[in-house]
Amino acid sequence: MKQVAVLGDEVEFTEDERDVDPDYLDFALNEWDSYATEEALRLVEAAGSGEVVVVSVGDEDAEDAMRRCLAMGADRGIRVEAEAQLDPIQVARALAEVIQSESPDLVFAGVQSSDSVQAATGGALAGLLDMPSVAVVTKIELGDGKATANRELEGGLVDVVEVDTPALLTIQTGINEPRYATLRAIKQAEEKEIDVRQPGDLGEPGYRVRKMFVPPKGEGAEMLNGGAAEVAQRIKEIVQERMA
Amino acid sequence: MARDPKHDILFEPIQIGPKTMKNRFYQIPHCNGFGSEKPLNQAHFRAMKAEGGYAAVCTEYCSIHPESDDTHRVSARLWDDDDIKNLGLMCDMLHEHGALAAAELWYGGPHAPCMETRCVPRAPSQIPSDFEHLTYPKEMDKDDIREVQGFYVEAAKRAREAGFDIVYVYGSHSYLPQQFLTPYYNRRTDEYGGSFENRARFWRETIEQVRDAVGDDCAIAVRMSTDMFMGEAGTQLERDCLPFVELVDEIVDVWDINVSGISEWGEDATPSRFYESGRMLPWQKAVKGVSKKPVLGVGRFTSPDLMVEAINDGALDIIATCRPSISDPFLPKKIDEGRLDDIRECIGCNICISRWEIGGPPVICTQNATAGEEYRRGWHPEKFEKAANADNDVLIVGAGPAGMECARVLGERGMRRVHLVESQDDMGGIMRWIPQFPGLGEWGRVVNYRKIQIDKMKNVEFIPNTRLDANGVKSYGAEIVIVATGGYWATDGLNGCTHDTIPGADASQAWCATPEQIMVEGKAVGDKVLIVDNDGYFTGVSLAEKLAEEGKQVTLMTHLGHIAPYMHFTLEAPNMHRKLHKLKVEIVTYQIPTEMAEGKVTSAHVYDEEHLTEWGVDSVVLVTQRRSNEALYRELKDSVGIDALESEGVTGFFRIGDCVAPRLVADCIFDGHRLAREIDSDNPEVPLPFKRERHVVEREAVLA
Repeated sequence: MKQVAVLGDEVEFTEDERDVDPDYLDFALNEWDSYATEEALRLVEAAGSGEVVVVSVGDEDAEDAMRRCLAMGADRGIRVEAEAQLDPIQVARALAEVIQSESPDLVFAGVQSSDSVQAATGGALAGLLDMPSVAVVTKIELGDGKATANRELEGGLVDVVEVDTPALLTIQTGINEPRYATLRAIKQAEEKEIDVRQPGDLGEPGYRVRKMFVPPKGEGAEMLNGGAAEVAQRIKEIVQERMA
Repeated sequence: MARDPKHDILFEPIQIGPKTMKNRFYQIPHCNGFGSEKPLNQAHFRAMKAEGGYAAVCTEYCSIHPESDDTHRVSARLWDDDDIKNLGLMCDMLHEHGALAAAELWYGGPHAPCMETRCVPRAPSQIPSDFEHLTYPKEMDKDDIREVQGFYVEAAKRAREAGFDIVYVYGSHSYLPQQFLTPYYNRRTDEYGGSFENRARFWRETIEQVRDAVGDDCAIAVRMSTDMFMGEAGTQLERDCLPFVELVDEIVDVWDINVSGISEWGEDATPSRFYESGRMLPWQKAVKGVSKKPVLGVGRFTSPDLMVEAINDGALDIIATCRPSISDPFLPKKIDEGRLDDIRECIGCNICISRWEIGGPPVICTQNATAGEEYRRGWHPEKFEKAANADNDVLIVGAGPAGMECARVLGERGMRRVHLVESQDDMGGIMRWIPQFPGLGEWGRVVNYRKIQIDKMKNVEFIPNTRLDANGVKSYGAEIVIVATGGYWATDGLNGCTHDTIPGADASQAWCATPEQIMVEGKAVGDKVLIVDNDGYFTGVSLAEKLAEEGKQVTLMTHLGHIAPYMHFTLEAPNMHRKLHKLKVEIVTYQIPTEMAEGKVTSAHVYDEEHLTEWGVDSVVLVTQRRSNEALYRELKDSVGIDALESEGVTGFFRIGDCVAPRLVADCIFDGHRLAREIDSDNPEVPLPFKRERHVVEREAVLA
């Protein structure tokens, strides 16, 4: 799972124009990862035994998001120390080492992160682990040595897939209703263990950000000013023009 | 953040007579219950708006002489040297913030009942007030006219001495100068009545005399109603007002333009139920078309875009606000800083005005719990002290008005974590469905403002779709637990008239419903509906309007002498009566049901219990009284017990809002705010004493 950056109303970039100035960012648990955590918790609760371990790559600040998962009920956490910006393949390499040492029955990742929106880490990780994988999962049924998963396709179609476990599934939002942590669970999560590990050789990044900018406003936008009645009248006219 | 350049014009200075306003924001005269006799409350209340960026701030109507005594209602007064001292404090505090001070010099004529001074008011003609019953004026002869004009001059001099920069000769709302201008009040045949020139004479002469006395030092403002909506009898824009502007424009420094008379002044201080912002712009623009002087006026402006439009469109030079300045004294500053989503917008409920109409109590505001509390409780709408017990975690159960406000203020006070837990899928409580009544959409701003603020706070988390039971609360892990579970309408007809249920009333039956059942659950009602309203405010009449608009045949029954009497105080009554009459809603007063069953209701006359009437109806709606939803609170206090809560680490256990006692939304929000402000006091359950501004006697000195 990942602690993601959340943009406020205003954005400024760093001097080298390669990143958002951190003063303009808030941080939060990636939305997809809260669904993945909830799904893992439900499977363990249904099975009556088991353990949910959350793994993240990042600096100490990333532990805030990990503690959200621990407050939801995850048992422990492992953080791979990383200061620099990593690309998704490097992140997958860092995660793969930890996951191999844990020998899990199932590996969940969010479909994507809301800040960098690569949707690459889960797939890369499955490749590195040489595990069968299913992407964009909206339902899971666990069997003996296998899992049945629904995959969300374009146009509302659903693909039902069976995979042997251990397997890696990337979890889509809406698969469940993630639970809220009570204040007691949040306090207890502060006491839970987060094991910090140093990464091995993550290799060179495969891509580098050259420049980040706000795209110029395109043509064709008409700002409607005035009172509610005036604006409504203008919208009506525009709709009528377009429909004529 | 920075101001949006499209709002720059609002921050350009403007000259009015000998004075300069630093920007275009002006707090119009409005009452607050403080007058000249609670000068500390008065000064702190007005100064908050100056701190919030207003360039000029006015008193409420300010009486020039004991003959203009509005008691039981509270006006300011400039009768003597002590009044100069008391209102002078307000002027000094405004000046400290770089704002101008304005005094609205007022002589009420027949509308002022003089219940304290026992004087006789004077008027153009001897006709009793259309606003204040049983108040007869003395008809003025020419000596009276000269004498009253002298009262204006002397009061203007006192205003100047107090430090006022702007002095009004106030006519709007059918007060003396406008009474002379208006045939409805002026039936004279001498040179002060009849023709336009004669009807304008008193006001013109008075402005001249006030200007001669103080015009070099003070700007002269004239407040005029440009339409009384009374046909020939009332003041009319074309016939009276535009010629009057042309007549005296040279000797006036700024025009304050509105509409309405006094008996239906809700046409001016418009409830959002009936009018949108900027309702008077056409009249204001007409005056600006003939005047060379700056024009200011109200319109319940909360949107800076509309303010800019009013100026660019040539309707106004100065944006005056009354209710929006109560709801958010920092409106100008927030626009200046580009913080538009922090603006606490007025909802147009007129609860503020209701307190003036009731006579006496201090101003309150649904949106701004700190209004009127600046001095006596020391509350600042934008500043919050870190709580001494900020290392506590707080659980608030219920995200209605009280719970939302409490969470917001506890968030501002820096509590470590605040969890606002709600059984529904969104915040709002009753304010999710009340704004769905006809015309009440803007009341939804109560929820919107708080939702936006709470969303910004890192230490406040909103948790929807979660119904906590007593065990859930006990083991939640909070040090402070606040129950805000709201209330509900009685399902059995329990009411404040008979203090009993109504035999047969049962909202679990298909033919019988409560307001929530209709508005939230969509319970169907039959074609012929009887609404029993023992509440007397907006719920019964709003349901009547809604159901009649849906084509039902509606009878609205109350034990009171009027339907929705509280709406008289909020100025909603006249248009509400018109609307229900047009919709053919049958109004039945002084009746209370004695028995009901499917298809049939029997009622008795409240002053003749033997006189029974039978009503054939398909459905009955019970708007009889509300009850606190206190099940969770009682279970926690009585079954779980305080000791068990303490053993789980709960050190504070409180309840707020309707869950304590059902009341006005303004009072629920105040309750949530109050608890949060005092969460670190010795006993937060009991409000800290507030400063009472009063005369304290020295017994020995009196007896000696």
